[in-house]
Amino acid sequence: MNCRSIAVLVLAWSAVSILITGCFGKQEINDLAMVTAVGLDLYGDNQVSLSVQIVRPADARGQTGAPSGGTGEPIYSIQSQGRTIFEAARNLARFSSRRVYWAHNFVIVIGEDYARRGIADMIDFFTRNHELRMSTWVVVTPDKASEVIATITGMEVVPGEAIDKLFRYNQIVAEAPGSNMMRLQESFLATGAEPVLAKVQLKPRGISNKKPNQFGSLKQVVLSGAAVFKGDKMQGWLSPKDAKGLLPFIEKVDSEIAIVNCPNEPGKRTTLELKKLKQTMKPGWKDGKITLRIKQKIDANLVELGCSNSYAVVREQLEVKLRQQMEDQVKNIFDIAQQQYRTDFLKAGQTFHNRYPQEWRKVAAEWDDYFAEADVTVQTDVKLTSPVLKLKEPTSGKELK
Amino acid sequence: MTVQPLLDTAITDSLQTNVDLIQRIMGQSVDFIKRDFDFHQETNRQGVCFYTDGLISNTELQHILKAILVHSQELPAEILLQADTVEELKRRLMTNCSLRAIRKIGEGVDGILGGETLFLIDGFAEGLLVVTKAWESRSITEPATDNVVRGPRDGFTENIRTNTALVRRRIKDPSLRLDSLIVGTKTKTDLNVAYMEGIVKPGLVEEVKARIHKIKIDGVLESGYIEELIEDAPFSVFSTIGTTERPDKVAASLLEGKVAIFVDNTPVVLTVPTFFWQFFQASDDYYSRYWVGSFFRIVRYIAFLISLMLPSLYVMLVSFHQEMIPSMLAFTIASGREVVPFPVLVEAIMMELAFELMREAGLRMPKPVGQAVSIVGSLIIGQAAVQAGLVSPFMVIIVAVTGIASFAIPNYSASLSIRLLRFPLIIASGMLGLLGFAGMFFIVVIHALSIRSFGEPYLAPAAPFRPSDQKDIVLRLPWWSNKSRPSIAADAKRQQDGAMPKPPES
Repeated sequence: MNCRSIAVLVLAWSAVSILITGCFGKQEINDLAMVTAVGLDLYGDNQVSLSVQIVRPADARGQTGAPSGGTGEPIYSIQSQGRTIFEAARNLARFSSRRVYWAHNFVIVIGEDYARRGIADMIDFFTRNHELRMSTWVVVTPDKASEVIATITGMEVVPGEAIDKLFRYNQIVAEAPGSNMMRLQESFLATGAEPVLAKVQLKPRGISNKKPNQFGSLKQVVLSGAAVFKGDKMQGWLSPKDAKGLLPFIEKVDSEIAIVNCPNEPGKRTTLELKKLKQTMKPGWKDGKITLRIKQKIDANLVELGCSNSYAVVREQLEVKLRQQMEDQVKNIFDIAQQQYRTDFLKAGQTFHNRYPQEWRKVAAEWDDYFAEADVTVQTDVKLTSPVLKLKEPTSGKELK
Repeated sequence: MTVQPLLDTAITDSLQTNVDLIQRIMGQSVDFIKRDFDFHQETNRQGVCFYTDGLISNTELQHILKAILVHSQELPAEILLQADTVEELKRRLMTNCSLRAIRKIGEGVDGILGGETLFLIDGFAEGLLVVTKAWESRSITEPATDNVVRGPRDGFTENIRTNTALVRRRIKDPSLRLDSLIVGTKTKTDLNVAYMEGIVKPGLVEEVKARIHKIKIDGVLESGYIEELIEDAPFSVFSTIGTTERPDKVAASLLEGKVAIFVDNTPVVLTVPTFFWQFFQASDDYYSRYWVGSFFRIVRYIAFLISLMLPSLYVMLVSFHQEMIPSMLAFTIASGREVVPFPVLVEAIMMELAFELMREAGLRMPKPVGQAVSIVGSLIIGQAAVQAGLVSPFMVIIVAVTGIASFAIPNYSASLSIRLLRFPLIIASGMLGLLGFAGMFFIVVIHALSIRSFGEPYLAPAAPFRPSDQKDIVLRLPWWSNKSRPSIAADAKRQQDGAMPKPPES
C-alpha cells in the first residue's frame, strides 16, 4: 500500500467517522441557560433549596442584532428543591426551557443556616462537576441566599458579574477575604487550616432616582466581613473590623487604610494608607507548648491629615499609634480564633506543620486545643514615608495673618 | 485524412509540386495567402511566397519583395545553377535579419503558421523561411495580481519574447539560460525554461525538461495546463508550483537557484520548486526596509491563520466549548444569536457561501456592475440579514474578517486553496468540536508535510528545519546580513562578508 492510498483511506475514514457521529455533544450557545450566580438554602430540615440566577442574553445585552421581545429583565431567577444539590439542579429542568449551564457561574451564595449545617456536600458537588470553575467566588449570607441571588445590584447589567467585580475591587477596603472555590477546597482539605468565607448581606444602600428622599429604598449586596468555619460547619461571623486583621494571614494585602487618632487631640483623626504590609508568622515549640511570633512590616503613606499640627511634628507619634493599633488588630483576631471559636482559620497549623513536621504528628490530633493555648507575640515595624510636597498642617492661610 | 505523411515529404525542385502540396495541407483558409512573383525572367524562374495574414508585418514583406523583384533580375544566370543557391540568395538578396533554409514541407508549414513567410523558387529543392512575425499584442502594464507599493510596475504580457526580455533586462549575465521547447501537438506553444547556469539546483533543469517532454496534449492555452501536467501532488489542494506575473519575482527566483517556465500567450510564469511559505512573501518585503518588510510579513502570516481557522474556531467555541469564551463575550454572542433559527454550523456555511458568491459575482460581471454587486451584496448580507434575524452580527464580523484576511495573502492561487480548506475545517469543528477541528487540522498538516515540489519538501525550511534558510521565512533579515542563497542553490555565496554599511571612521 503506497502513501497515497493510505492518505485516501485516512481521509475516507475521518470523513465517515465525522458523518456517522453526527454532532455529538453539540449545544448551541443560545440554547443554554447560563447561570451567573447560585444560591443554596436549607429547605425543611435536611433538604436543599437551590436558586439560580440565569442571564437573559437578549435583555442583558440590549439590541444586538435582530429585535427580540422580552420582559426587559436581564436575569431570570428560579428556585428548585431536592434532597441533594444535584437533584435540585436536575429539578430545575421542570421549568427551565433551556439546559442549565454552569461554566459561567460567578458566585455561590450559601445561606447561614445551610452553612451552619455543613457545606461538605456543596464543596464536593462544585469541585466534582467539570462544568464548574474553581475560580467561582463563594460567600455566606445571613439573609436568604435566594434573595441575594435575585437582587439586582451594582452597576453591571448582570448582578452575578457585579458581585464578581465587587470581589475584584473590594481589596482596597480589605474587609472580606477573596474566597473562591479553590481556596475553600484548599483550606477544607488541609490539616491545620480552616475555611473562612466572605460575607455578603443585603442592605438598603441604593437611592432610587425617582424618589431620592426615600434613602435606602433599594437593596444592594454588600460585601464585608467573613464567616468562620470549623471543618465544614460554620462557627460564626467576623465583623468587618475583625476581618481586617484576618486578611494578612490568608492573602496579600495592599492599600488597606488605617485611621489613627491625632495625638493629644481627641476627636481629630488622620488617615494612613498602608502601601505595603508584609506579615510573617514564625511558629515555635517550647516545652510542649506552641509559640507564634507574628512579625509585621508596614510602609504607610499619609493620605488625610486631620491634626492641627504639621505632619513633621506628629509623624513619630502617628507611627507609634499605628503600630499599637496594628498589634491590637492582630491580637484581636487571635483572641477570636483562640477563645471565641477555637478554630484555626489563620493557617497557623499549616505554618507549624511546615516548620516542625515531627512535632506536628504529636499535636495534629488535638491541634485546636494546642492552638487555643498558643502563646502569641506580635511585633510590628511601621514606617511612615514623608509626603515631601506638603509637610504643613492643614490650617487656613487667613488664620496665619 | 491525415496530413502527417505530406508534412514529412521533402521539398522538390518542381515549384508546382511544392505549391500543390502546401495548398493541400493548408486547405482554403482565408488568412492563408499565396503570392506569386517573377523571380528571374532571363531563366524564366517563378517564385511563390506563403504567409498567414495577420501574423506578419506587411511592410516588412513589401521590403523583401521589393528587394527580390528589383535585384533578382540582376543575378547572373550561372549562380542559379549552383548547388548552394539558396545560401547565395540569402547572402545577396535578403535584407532582413532572420531567415533560414529548409528542406521539408512540414517545417515550412510550421513556419507559415508561426508568422514566418515561406519563399519557394522554381528549380530549388529548398525553401527560404523569413521571420516576418508581427502581431497585435498588449503592451507592458502593471500586473493584475501581486501588486506592490514600492517596486517595479511592469508585468509580463502574452508575448513570450517580451517576457523573457523583461527578465533578461534584470539579469545581464551570460549564465542566464533560456532553453526552448514546444508543447501541444496542435497549438505548438512555445515554452522557455529559464535558469542560471551554476546557481540552479543540480539536476533540476533536466527534471523540469523531462516532465515537460512527457506532456502529450493537443493544446496548451495557459501555463495552468503545464502546472497541472508537471506538478508533484496532483490530488492536493495545495499548489506546488509558484505562479507570478512579476518579472522581478522571476528574476529573484532564478537567483535563488530555481527554474522559471515561460509559456507563450500567457502573462503567468511558473517557478519551481516552490515552498508553502513563499505564498506569503510579497515583493514589497524585499524593497521596503527590513523592519517594515518583516512586520508586514508577520501580519500576512496572521492573515493566513485567520483566513484558515477563524470561522471554524468560532463555530467550535459557540456550539461546543462555551466555557472557553470569556463570560461577558459569551453573553454578547448569545444575545446576538437569540433569534437566529439556524445552528452555528449552518449559519457559518451559509455566510461563507454568500461571501464566495459575492466575490465570484463581482469578479465575473463587467467592472462597473461588479462594484454594484459587491455593494448590494454587502448591504444585504451585512445589514438586512442581521435585522431579519437570519444571521447573528458576530457571524457577519467573522466572515468579513476572514474574507479580508484571505485577500491579504499575496498569492492568488494560495489564497484560493486556503479558502477551500476552510470548509472541511468548519464542518469538522461544527460536528465534533475541538476534536473535529484538531483532527481535520492534523490531516491537512500531515498532508502538507507529505508533499514535495520538484524534490523539495513543501514546508521547508520550517519542516524539515533548515537553520540557514530561516533568514527569509518569518522575518526578512536585512540584505547586508543575507550572505548566502537558499540551500537549494548550487552556488551558495550571495555576497561578501562585511556588507553592513557604516559611517566612515572620521
